[in-house]
Amino acid sequence: MEQITKNSTKIKKGTSYTLRTALIYIFLIIGLIIILFPFYITIITAFKTTSESAANFFAFPKSFYLDNFKAVLQKANYFTYFFNSVAITVVAVVFILLLTTMCAYAISRNMNHSKYHKAIYYYLLFGIFVPFQAVMVPLVKYTGDLRLNNQTGLVLLHITFAASQAIFLLVNYIRSVPSDLESAALIDGCTIQGAYWRIVLPLIRPMLMTILVLNAMWIWNDFLMSLLILNKSPNTWTIPLFQYNFKSQYTFDYNMAFASYLVAMVPIMIIYAFVQRYIVSGLTQGAVKS
Amino acid sequence: MFQQSINKRKRKVRKGSRVMVGFTLPVVILYSLFFLVPLLMGFYYSLTNWNGISKTYKIVGFSNYVKVIMNPRFLNAIWFNARYMVLLVILVTVVSLVIAMALNRTKLCSTLFRSIYFVPAILSLVTVALIWNELFYRVIPVIGQQLGIEWLSTSLLGNPKTAIYAILAVNLWQGCSIPTVLFIAGLQSVPMELYEAATVDGAGRWARFKNITVPFLIPVINMVIITQVKAGLTVFDYIKAMTDGGPGHATEAIGLLVYKYSMQENKYSQSVAVAMILFVIVGMISLITLRITGDKQVEGD
Repeated sequence: MEQITKNSTKIKKGTSYTLRTALIYIFLIIGLIIILFPFYITIITAFKTTSESAANFFAFPKSFYLDNFKAVLQKANYFTYFFNSVAITVVAVVFILLLTTMCAYAISRNMNHSKYHKAIYYYLLFGIFVPFQAVMVPLVKYTGDLRLNNQTGLVLLHITFAASQAIFLLVNYIRSVPSDLESAALIDGCTIQGAYWRIVLPLIRPMLMTILVLNAMWIWNDFLMSLLILNKSPNTWTIPLFQYNFKSQYTFDYNMAFASYLVAMVPIMIIYAFVQRYIVSGLTQGAVKS
Repeated sequence: MFQQSINKRKRKVRKGSRVMVGFTLPVVILYSLFFLVPLLMGFYYSLTNWNGISKTYKIVGFSNYVKVIMNPRFLNAIWFNARYMVLLVILVTVVSLVIAMALNRTKLCSTLFRSIYFVPAILSLVTVALIWNELFYRVIPVIGQQLGIEWLSTSLLGNPKTAIYAILAVNLWQGCSIPTVLFIAGLQSVPMELYEAATVDGAGRWARFKNITVPFLIPVINMVIITQVKAGLTVFDYIKAMTDGGPGHATEAIGLLVYKYSMQENKYSQSVAVAMILFVIVGMISLITLRITGDKQVEGD
């Protein structure tokens, strides 16, 4: 960063440079306002009463009115949905990391000499081209028949529909990692399972981070799949589903609606504040490598 | 003795390859059960006249496809998705690239800027859509009236002509965050010496951008285009939460049509036929995009 600015000052000094920098900052600040404006409205409206909002929608609340939150958190069982979301995300992500790395490891080390592994690689890649909406309708009936229209079923679906992309990213990554270390370990009497667990997994940690970030964000925020599988049993809802249904229930009380948007956003914002660096590096890692 | 050790070795290899097959099984089984089977089921039901509930149905061949394609609602959905996809791909790529280049120039508060620009990406599409829904109904018209801008004075979502742009705006508000981060990473991979050398050689700003920056960004641009093509063709959450396809059928995307046919209108076999057509469209367009972007990459290298 510093180098860039230094160099460009070297290249072109003077007023045109200062002016350009000023314009860049003005542009970025306008963008910042556009991004932050919905948050501002959400926060102030959530803390106001309906009459206060009616008087002036944009003004800061005079006092912090908390009944909207009480209604959302207690009446609407927010904490149940929060724990549902946490459980589904954690379980699904753990299984995705474990199962797709096992599969990708086997594929990348065998696809050159094993027809089976080569075939399943292309079989799994095929899924990248198929949108979820193309299979969702039969899937609803099918999961119903198998009695999997519940959270277990949803986790299995998340694993299934994460597989293609994860395998694609992982196979490319593992193939770029030399297999010498594993071969040495195998000759020394290590089992394949041991080599996978102790040698391969630590070596591919950057890509694991990418897959973790991509899928955790995707699953935490997923709406369509949860809508199809869980919508009929309210005690299994996730936060996005609660959001959607809460909104249709309280269409007219928009202060309460904004309070619900705020409580839906808070958990992920807190996590973001702490692990932001890992989220961003996880995302870029995957892009640069693939 | 030698033979024995070879046998032992062979057994170990065979056991090893069994483990290597075993490692793939959980994913392959899940994928076959929950992806391939429903896909085949979908194709099968698209050839029947089943309504999703009744006990009996019969095979009717491709008549569902004919019915669907002749239906103006389907053509309307295709037209919606085509426009949406093209605009989304272009706008996301351009806007994210511009923001990334601006962010890449900042020194003061650059971390803060970047963190805030990324925030929309972590939120759920439904929450974002619902918040903007309220803004479109209660806040933006007020601003429009204050500023005396006529087209902003009523809700953009309530007008069949402007609803698509309102949805697109929300999608951009959220959808540019990740591409921006990717573009910043791409911009930082460009060696500074190249710019210096080009400047010494008398290359102007545009020439440097076109001949140095863009070639280095090609892999990122490709990735952004491919993901946005798919996002544009399968847009669902925003529409479901904001307009539910309305006003009229103005924002009824293909994904929503599949959902409505099967969940609300008992046109089960027609809905799977639409889903199959969507599958073919997405597959074909993805392949074409991969082909085109693949060619570009070779040129860029």
